[in-house]
Amino acid sequence: MYIFKNALRSISRSKGRNILVGIIVLVIAVSTCVALSIREAAAKAKESTLDSIQITAQISVDRQSMMKNSTTTGVAPDRESMQAAFAGASGLSLDEMQVYAKAASVKAFSYTLTSSFNGTDAMKPIDTSSTSSTTSSSSTTTAKTPTNTQQGQSAGGFGKMGAQGSFTVIGYSTDSAMTAFVNGTSTITSGAIFSEGTSDNVCVISDELALYNSLSVGSVFTLVNPNNTAETIQLTVAGIYKNSQATVTTGNTMGGFSAASDPANEIYMSYNALKAITTTSIANAAAATSTTASTALREQVAGTYSFADVESYNSFDAQARALGLADTYTITSSDLTSYQQSLQPLENLSKFATYFLIVVLLIGGIILIVLNIFNIRERKYEIGVLTAIGMKKGKVSLQFITELFLVTFTCIIIGAGVGAAVSVPITNSLLKSQVSSAQAAAASQTTSFGRSNTNGTTNSTTTNSKNTGTSNNVGAPGAIVTKTTNYISEVSSATNFTVILQLMGIGIILTLVSSCAAVIFVLRYEPLKILTNRD
Amino acid sequence: MSLLKLENLSYIYDSAKVKVLDQISYEFDEGKIYAVIGKSGAGKTTLLSLLSGLASPSEGKILFREKDISSLDKYKYRSQYVGVVFQSFNLLQNLTAVENVVLSMDIAGIKQKNKKEFATELLGKVGLSVDESKRRVLKLSGGQQQRVAIARALSYNPDVILADEPTGNLDGETQEEIMSIFRGLANEGKSIILVTHSPIVAKSADVVYELHDLSKNKAKKKDAQGKDAQNKVQAVV
Repeated sequence: MYIFKNALRSISRSKGRNILVGIIVLVIAVSTCVALSIREAAAKAKESTLDSIQITAQISVDRQSMMKNSTTTGVAPDRESMQAAFAGASGLSLDEMQVYAKAASVKAFSYTLTSSFNGTDAMKPIDTSSTSSTTSSSSTTTAKTPTNTQQGQSAGGFGKMGAQGSFTVIGYSTDSAMTAFVNGTSTITSGAIFSEGTSDNVCVISDELALYNSLSVGSVFTLVNPNNTAETIQLTVAGIYKNSQATVTTGNTMGGFSAASDPANEIYMSYNALKAITTTSIANAAAATSTTASTALREQVAGTYSFADVESYNSFDAQARALGLADTYTITSSDLTSYQQSLQPLENLSKFATYFLIVVLLIGGIILIVLNIFNIRERKYEIGVLTAIGMKKGKVSLQFITELFLVTFTCIIIGAGVGAAVSVPITNSLLKSQVSSAQAAAASQTTSFGRSNTNGTTNSTTTNSKNTGTSNNVGAPGAIVTKTTNYISEVSSATNFTVILQLMGIGIILTLVSSCAAVIFVLRYEPLKILTNRD
Repeated sequence: MSLLKLENLSYIYDSAKVKVLDQISYEFDEGKIYAVIGKSGAGKTTLLSLLSGLASPSEGKILFREKDISSLDKYKYRSQYVGVVFQSFNLLQNLTAVENVVLSMDIAGIKQKNKKEFATELLGKVGLSVDESKRRVLKLSGGQQQRVAIARALSYNPDVILADEPTGNLDGETQEEIMSIFRGLANEGKSIILVTHSPIVAKSADVVYELHDLSKNKAKKKDAQGKDAQNKVQAVV
């Protein structure tokens, strides 16, 4: 106890020396607190974002792998063998997809059926292909009637669906498959979404399409089979939705793309209802033998596997392979790619914070050790007297360590307070500069290209007020329609209990390391020598 | 049984390879004041350092209550059994007189309550006022510091008091006061060993050991009645 009292007294009577040590420790504590807070914020953001996102994956043909397998090292690429490999590969059927859905890691499996239709005079698609402006859901959309060419395009880019219409009709197997509505990107503004699994010809349409064709909930409109104009279907509008993020980019450079690619022309309905329509169409086409080309509606099935967490997703590949998935297929998750991209600035900042922390601790530690050595040399006489009157060297060392601990911890507590207060604005400021750097790089790339880069990096930025993040559009192939990815550019809290504990731990280590010098000196000193030399 | 006994004690300074003390055999009993006198460099202070356990003999033994002090915990020996009054006081300058005394009691492990009051009282006994006791040592005169050093040595009631020139900075009157304190302590059964040049101190001692040049090999011994006696000692100047 007297050691503690003595230490306190010594601190209070050597203010100058302790204030100097205190200032250094305070600077180290604030810097460390900020650096640790940044790291913690990055880790938390990573965790919470990962928790909030729904991890989904798709199985698709691995063309790159097939091309690689068809190419012999040192020999010119063989196009014929590649074509042969491509011909043998086709998308998985629904039955095959359902086999892999039985993998233990899969939480849920949903699927969609996509088909293409043309409109009628009363029901026209929105088409902005002749304009050069970039429009968003919130901006005024200029529209015009699609040309005949567009209405009846050959579907090179639409799989094996024959002629492509102006509208894309998507049938969903479950509500959970409608990810845009699940994650809030799309919201119903009028009416309601059709019942899950319904066979009724009811659908939801975009607000732009509703406005353009003067449709409202309960309206009935007609769509035409692009391969057989005599075949029509009638759909009832059950609800109207608004897509808050989809951005349409069209212009002269984008000519030649169908209006069906415009998300405003997407019509959503139940899988069962659409399947019934396409099944009827296929049956009708089979009955009609006079035509050489099939007049049936083309359909394309896509399956989406949902996972509880990343670990489950990571284990899915091995499980699917075990269930018979061939090497010519690959499993990909756009959610994870988007997630990793959104974290990039924060991760860069976290790395910077780690290096900064190491430098601060190294320099701070060295300064503290040097200061302690000077301090001990200055107090050599005191050590001599204390040991001469019978105080054990261990206790003398303990007194010095206690003094340093008291000063260090007082300053660490103050530093933690200051660090907690400044860490959020500093983190956000640094984060914004990181995001700005990424955006500047994208802008520079756009300038260099003389147009928007279409490789899926960045095209333009929008601010998503909901997520307080700056969004960079990730271009879809061709950059006609881009889906936004939010960069995390703001954190609300950074310093937490973990940071305080880490800070305390660092404080203890730093004090012990710098005290080591003091202890070594105390143990080396002999009282008689000190006192004799002084005499 | 002697309280403190030197058996063939020799000491060589390692640095200079100089033998300062050679084959000394003294005995210090309870209830007596001993004066160790000798010329400068005769090894008086070295002898005090050896007796206090601050230095270890090159040869020979120092026995405290028949136990070799080299086998004892030297810190415990210094903080509980012997009280040392250094020539240059060796007080902690940033502490007050009272704090110096209390710290010494703390180190000795004294559990007594009201240590401050006891220390103030002790300082009063050696002639320091309450006001002076509250001052930092740095602000006290040499004489006052000497008194604080004596009070500190007495604070934990040791069996032996070792003092190097304890009255060196004091006037004649105060010297006598201090000596009377030592006499009182001796009467309580303590052994008082004083290293001094002062004839007043030597005169007040019960036994005087005089360290001589080795060629003379002699020391005076005076008994409690003041009669001179001869006692052979070996000392090297």
